[in-house]
Amino acid sequence: MADTELVLLGSRRARQGRRSPLRRRIAGARWSYVYVLPMLVLLAAFVVYPIIASLGYTFYRWDGIGDPTEFVGLDNFLKVMKDFIFWKALRNTFLYVVIVVPLQLVIALALALVLNNPRLRLRNLYRTLFFLPVVTSAAVIAVVVQLLFSNFGDVVNDVLMSLGITNTYIDWLGDPTFAMIIIMGVGVWHTLGYNLVYFLAGLQTIPGELYEAAKLDGAGAIASFRYITVPMLRSVGVVILLLSIIGSFQIFDLVQVLTNGGPYFATEVVNTYIYHLAFGGASSTAVQPDVGLASAASFFYGLLLIVFAVVQAVFLRTLVSRRGGRA
Amino acid sequence: MTAIAGRRRPLTSAATRRGPWVTHLLLLLGGIAWLYPFAWTLGSSLKSTDEFFGRGLNPLPGSPLWSNYAEAWQGASFGAYFLNTVFITVATVVITLLVTATAGYVLARTHFPGKALVLVVVAATVFLPHGYTIIPIFDIMRGLGLLNSLWSIIIVQASGGVVFGTFLFMGYFRAIDRSLEDAARVDGANFHQIFWRIMLPLSGPMLATVGLFTAISAWNSFFIPLVFTLARPELRTLGVGMYAFIGENSTDWTLLCAGSVITLAPIIAIFLVLQRFFINGLAGAVKQ
Repeated sequence: MADTELVLLGSRRARQGRRSPLRRRIAGARWSYVYVLPMLVLLAAFVVYPIIASLGYTFYRWDGIGDPTEFVGLDNFLKVMKDFIFWKALRNTFLYVVIVVPLQLVIALALALVLNNPRLRLRNLYRTLFFLPVVTSAAVIAVVVQLLFSNFGDVVNDVLMSLGITNTYIDWLGDPTFAMIIIMGVGVWHTLGYNLVYFLAGLQTIPGELYEAAKLDGAGAIASFRYITVPMLRSVGVVILLLSIIGSFQIFDLVQVLTNGGPYFATEVVNTYIYHLAFGGASSTAVQPDVGLASAASFFYGLLLIVFAVVQAVFLRTLVSRRGGRA
Repeated sequence: MTAIAGRRRPLTSAATRRGPWVTHLLLLLGGIAWLYPFAWTLGSSLKSTDEFFGRGLNPLPGSPLWSNYAEAWQGASFGAYFLNTVFITVATVVITLLVTATAGYVLARTHFPGKALVLVVVAATVFLPHGYTIIPIFDIMRGLGLLNSLWSIIIVQASGGVVFGTFLFMGYFRAIDRSLEDAARVDGANFHQIFWRIMLPLSGPMLATVGLFTAISAWNSFFIPLVFTLARPELRTLGVGMYAFIGENSTDWTLLCAGSVITLAPIIAIFLVLQRFFINGLAGAVKQ
């Protein structure tokens, strides 16, 4: 009794508050502003403003020291688009995404299907096991892989030579093709856990009764997968696919530490290309740092990714709705 | 129907009797292979340089050489890098939790003019193209005079996670029963008391989730500390320190292995203790 009275009283006061003049409402909510302000300040200063500011740099030739003064208009964009290394980096990045994403998703889904069985003992242990690389630093993993290959390379070379397959030692991380394959393999290994957990979450939203009903109707494992799992997983699957693609396009740490984009730009991805433009650094490129050029390359890449994301979203939506309509 | 079921039952029970062992064997072998790089690193961190090459892919050291750790800690200054990384991680977690819990609370439970605008702006930043923003950020830090301290890394690191954390806390606080707040208000609790004494203590699981996500990303962060320590080696984090070390002394393989273990072990341990929160947090992100 007393409780309802109090709630009524509270809501009446709230309604009165909403009707009062704006200034009094602002004054009344002053602590709300104080509480939300730190978040807004961090966001404005270190996320929003830098995006706008870096757009301004794209019109200057600037080595990053002092203030930008040499206005070059759209020259930086033209330069980037004429730079064959940019296109090579873009091609390498796409190649990485096109190979790593499907490979990773197929393995993750297969593993998720096995681990989703509630009668499988130790399933949480296995999940943790395969998830573990996710929480480790890509930079340190790259160091470990480098160390591992200083040994592994020799062992495999010995085997290959004794079998007579090759007669020269292969420098695995120094070979353009093998370096890229190694980066892709480590990429699959390092982030597979995300997709495993995502798929497990998706599988758990499918009601168990559906499978039981299918079993009663005489459906086997393959039929259940084809007619229950796949359609029920479609909307979550699209989200997983998009997250996986977005994440893969951002590859940087692994390449920077493992190969620095080398040998001869064979593993240069767009983010290492931009980093090398802004900070010089790479011994193989040894270019003058140019923040304007780096900003232009970054902006251009950002635009490409947005266009790509829109095309993808439209394509996937039509795919989902068409199949969904049929089912 | 019953005939089919009758014929099927022995088949499936035979399959389930044999199935789990094959499954377990494959999963276990796969899992060992999956974690082999970690095992090899741990073992190699205890090898002598001769053993490192002599034993190749065998993860086990002949006689454990513990001095690698002492050398890595002091000689290769991984001790200093470790302390830098711990400081950055702890400070980033504390700042992120304070900033996102307070913002998430007022956005979920209070009304104020302009709230809708705040929500739209915060959500919009997720979709903005994040270009090459490190240079303007660097300029702001120079203006604030923070380039010579770890705080520049901490603030940038925290800023990157505020949107994610704010949304998580918002969702969590929205689901808490309102009568609790009303009862406290009736008892005379003011705005601050309601948040700090009632709402925040109730948000334990979300504090753990956001804290763990923030800790892992801060501990593993590479690009931000790399850029902010290019001219200041003494501020390096473990990841950046390893990267620099491999460039300078590319022959001290076993020390690098020890450094890798020093970098990997703490975050793996924290994850193993709190993994429930991390995995539930990830799963929740996809389900919505």
